[in-house]
Parts: sequence; C-alpha cells; structure tokens
Amino acid sequence: MNLVWKLLRQHISIPQFIGFFFANLFGMLIVLLGYQFYRDVAPVFTSEDSFMKADYIIVSKKIGTANTISGRDNSFEASEIDDLEDQKFTTKVGKFTSTEYKVDAHMGVNGTNVLNSELFFESVPDEFVDVPLSQWKYTPGSHEVPIILPRTYITMYNFGFAQSHSLPKISDGLVGMINFDIFIQGNGHKAGFKGKVIGFSSRLNTILVPQAFMDWSNNFFAPNDHSDPTRLIMEVGNPADENVTKYFDKKGYEVEDDKLDAEKTTYFLRMMVTMVMTVGLVISILSFYILMLSIYLLVQKNSSKLENLLLIGYSPRDVAKPYQLLTVGLNLGVLIIAWFILYFVRMYYMDIVETLFPDLDDGSMLPALIMGVALFLLVSICNIIAVRRKIDRIWQRKE
Amino acid sequence: MLNFLDNTVETIQFDNVLPQVFAQRDDLESQIWKQDAVFKKGHLYLVEADSGKGKSTFCSYVVGYRHDYTGHVYFDGRDTATFKVADWVEARQRHVSHLFQELRLFPELTAMENIQIKNKLTGFKSEKQIKEWFDMLGIGDKLDAKIGRMSFGQQQRVAMIRALVQPFDFILADEPISHLDDNNSRIMGEIMMTEAKAQGAGVIVTSIGKHIDLNYEKTYWL
Repeated sequence: MNLVWKLLRQHISIPQFIGFFFANLFGMLIVLLGYQFYRDVAPVFTSEDSFMKADYIIVSKKIGTANTISGRDNSFEASEIDDLEDQKFTTKVGKFTSTEYKVDAHMGVNGTNVLNSELFFESVPDEFVDVPLSQWKYTPGSHEVPIILPRTYITMYNFGFAQSHSLPKISDGLVGMINFDIFIQGNGHKAGFKGKVIGFSSRLNTILVPQAFMDWSNNFFAPNDHSDPTRLIMEVGNPADENVTKYFDKKGYEVEDDKLDAEKTTYFLRMMVTMVMTVGLVISILSFYILMLSIYLLVQKNSSKLENLLLIGYSPRDVAKPYQLLTVGLNLGVLIIAWFILYFVRMYYMDIVETLFPDLDDGSMLPALIMGVALFLLVSICNIIAVRRKIDRIWQRKE
Repeated sequence: MLNFLDNTVETIQFDNVLPQVFAQRDDLESQIWKQDAVFKKGHLYLVEADSGKGKSTFCSYVVGYRHDYTGHVYFDGRDTATFKVADWVEARQRHVSHLFQELRLFPELTAMENIQIKNKLTGFKSEKQIKEWFDMLGIGDKLDAKIGRMSFGQQQRVAMIRALVQPFDFILADEPISHLDDNNSRIMGEIMMTEAKAQGAGVIVTSIGKHIDLNYEKTYWL
C-alpha cells in the first residue's frame, strides 16, 4: 500500500485540507456543544420535584389592594373547601396547616452558623408528600423532626454564602451536612428540636414538616389558637381541564405554578439550541463540501495514475482505499479534537451550572459522544461512497 | 463468481468483433475484425497491422478497458461482456498480462518502485529475479532512477519487466520494441519467451512492421 500511497498523495493540497479541518472542527464542535449543553441544562427545567407530584396544584386566594384595605383575610373557609371538594374535577384536597406559635431556628452547615431567624412551618397531609413514610414521620415527644426546605434557600446559600465563606456547596446528596435547630415556645412550654432535612422542594415556598408534628405541636404549644388555611393543595384529574380555570377565576383563586415558566424556558432553550445546532450543521455540511471538492480535485488530478493502477490489476476498492482512509482519518481527527475541546468547555460551564443547581446530576459526555460518533459515521460513510463512486467512474473511463 | 478464476484461461476467442469506429467501413480486410479468431494458451501469435488499424484497440478489448465493439470476445467460451469488475480485476492480476504501447508507467516512482507496485499486488517474483532482468536488459544501474528521467527505450524495458511480475495465461505485448535496438529486442524476446514457457502461457505480440524476431506460429493481419 505504501507505493500506492506514495503515488496517490501527489497533488494533495495541504491548505485545502487545513481549511476543511478547521471548518469541520468548528461545525462539529458547535453541534456537539449545543447538544451536550441542552442535555446538561434541560433537566434543570424539566426535572420533577421529587417531593410533590407534578399534577398537584397549590391554590390560594388572590391578594389585591381591596382585601388589604377591607381587612378581609385571604384564608379559605370550611364551606369554600367543601365546595371545592364537590367539584367534578377534584380528586382530593388538602389544607396547608401553619404553626400557631413562635419558632426560632438556627441553620448551620458543617458547624458554621448560616441563618438565625424566627420563622414558621407548614404542613400538608402526608398523602401529598411523596417521601417514603419511614422518613416522613413524627412520633409525638420525639426531638427529631423531618423537614423539607424550599430549594430557593439552598440556592441562596450556595451562591451567596458558601462561596464567600468557603463552605461546601450543598446538593441533594449532602443534606446531612445541614444542622437545623428549632426552638419553640408557647403555652408555657419551651422545647428544642433537631430538624432533619431530608430534601429540597422547588414547588413549595415554605418549610414543610410532617402533619403529625404539626398537629401535635399546635396542640401542645398553642392549644387555643386556630386559623383557617390560606393555601390548599389539590389533585385534579386533568390539570388542563378548562373547568378548573373557569372555577378558579370565578372564585378569585390563584394557582401557584412554576411549571408553566419552566416549560416556557425549556421551549426557548430548545429553540436556541436548535438554532445554534443548525448553524453548526450548516458549517459541517459546508466543510463536507470542501472536503468532497478537494478529494474530487485530487482524484481528477491523479486520474491517469488511478487509471493505470486499475489497468495493472488493482481493484477499484484498493485504489479508493487510500483516499477513503485519508478522509476518514481527517474526520476522526476532527471528532477527537472536538471531543477534547468540548470536555474543557463543558467543565467550565458545568461549574457554573452546578453552582446554580447543586442537585443537578453530574451527567456525562455521553450525548456528545453518541452524537459525535453518529455524525462521524454519517460523514465518513458519505465520503467513502463518494470516493468509491468517483473511482468507479474512472474504471468506466467516464472521467 | 467466475468459474475460470481458479483455473486457467485456455482460449481467447474474437467472434465477429468489430470496433464501432469501423462500423461504417466496408473495405475492411482483416483476419481478426468480423472474423472468428482464436488464441490458444501456450502458442505464439503475431498481430501485424499498419497504424490506425486498431492494434491497441484489439488489446484494450482483451484486457477489458474498452467495450466499444459489436460481436463477442470469449474467455474459454465465456462472453467477457458479462464480466463484473471483480472478474476483470482477477483477469488482469492472474490471467492476462499486458505490456501497454503507451507503457503506463508512473513517472513519479523509480524504475524498481514501478515494478514493485505491481509485484506487491501479485507477490509473484523475488527482488533478486527482478534485478536480474534489469541487468540482462542493460538497465541495472537505473533501478533507483525516476521513470520520468529515463528514455522511452529504457522505459519500454521497465514496462516489460512489470508485465512479467504476475501469473498469466496470455501475455499481450503491444509494440514492445518500437524504441529498442536489435540486441535489446532479442534479449527482451528471450526473457519474455522464457517466462511465458515457464508459465505455459500464450504470447500475442503486435507490431507495425518492426517486430521481435521470434518463431511465430501464426500471424494475423488486422
């Protein structure tokens, strides 16, 4: 093969191949990067909240200037809840229960105090919380309380606090690092509890405790107080049912829904990535043309040599092979370099993404690897076929 | 696949073959065109003609790189019109060797490389044998010379050696000695005949008058 290669490499234009190499590299890189980025970031918007099923909706009353002035509060009365339960679209309804007493909490990470505040807890019936019952339980008298924190807390911590205090960033796997000390007083009692953070929820903007703890503690620390719930959680058969919206509009209820936003964001993300990938693909296709043109030119310039090789007994396959290997080799080189660059680019943006969304899966470069191999195979097979067809035409003495 | 691949080609038959360019001519007096001409393995033929009568065309039909004719060319009774690419590759590698009138050497390669590029394909001759031939033909000092720098006569000798580094049932020498002196012609004829005898092959030499002095068994006028 050596002599054949020595012969056929005549007239190879290095500048043309360098041009192809870089054009293809950019095209490939853009396509792979777009795809990999999409696969890395999309879970942020599409991931379901692990503590709450996606088809639960949280309902509250609209707060307008009128209620504030008139002093009407925005809590649900029992009759209103009954009415809601009676609606056809409703599967089940649960109330948010709030603490009637004062809570002081200290949150720390790894021993460093992060937050001291007076706050309140809420609870929903256990059936609405999607956590194994073994984790989400409270026995009256126990000093350990399971807690679900809003995800915004942890984002705030990771971004604002952890970085400036050189503390570790918290992700779902590391919730054990959070110390959550609770002090409650009321009705002449004082007690300290240890909060056990079992996770974060992005759908609930409240600190959630088990219903059992809520019932017991309200009864213990504030037996005489009772307030109506301001928020309801409900499951509907079909969230897209227009009767749901109609009913809520009529009653002046509001649905807390971040899902729609996520969908919009995902849509725009997908659109942008598609646009970027299209540009990459166009560059790739153009570079493919550059390569095909230079190979055609090369075959043309070497056509008499190719013909002679065929006439002394070389098969079209033998003769096509050097050029096919050349193109496949170039494609492979491009692919490997593109992966290499992508690896570093990804490391860079994943750093940022993981700071923003610490619980995000690390993911892998698998999407880019698969996409890269697919593109490589597609382009290489096209190259191989095109070169062979060109040689076949020389065999048929049409060139 | 071909049934002759594993065997030898015993006969090449031209049955009523006429190049399309001669189709309009009715004054054709030829012993091959529009005739039934048979070439047998192990025999020595001379195909003689004035220029323009289609000697190279005749050769190109035998090795299958032109098909612009009417009639049939048979290898052992098999119509070559039915040959696939792989059949022709096999025929060129193992059955019919062709010394081209226009030589078809590679000017970028040295004389030895020109031989080896074919010998590597067939793995037929040792480097020693090849060098011996170079010496016999008086170009032993040209082994590493680029073909482009050699005279046509020298190139003809290289082309002859290249035609011999393969197994063949027939060797087709298209005006092999047009640029050689008598002595070199004689040596070349000897080398070719020795190799052909050793392989039991048929030899077909074409010429426009000046031809290698050999004991031709049959002369065809094109």
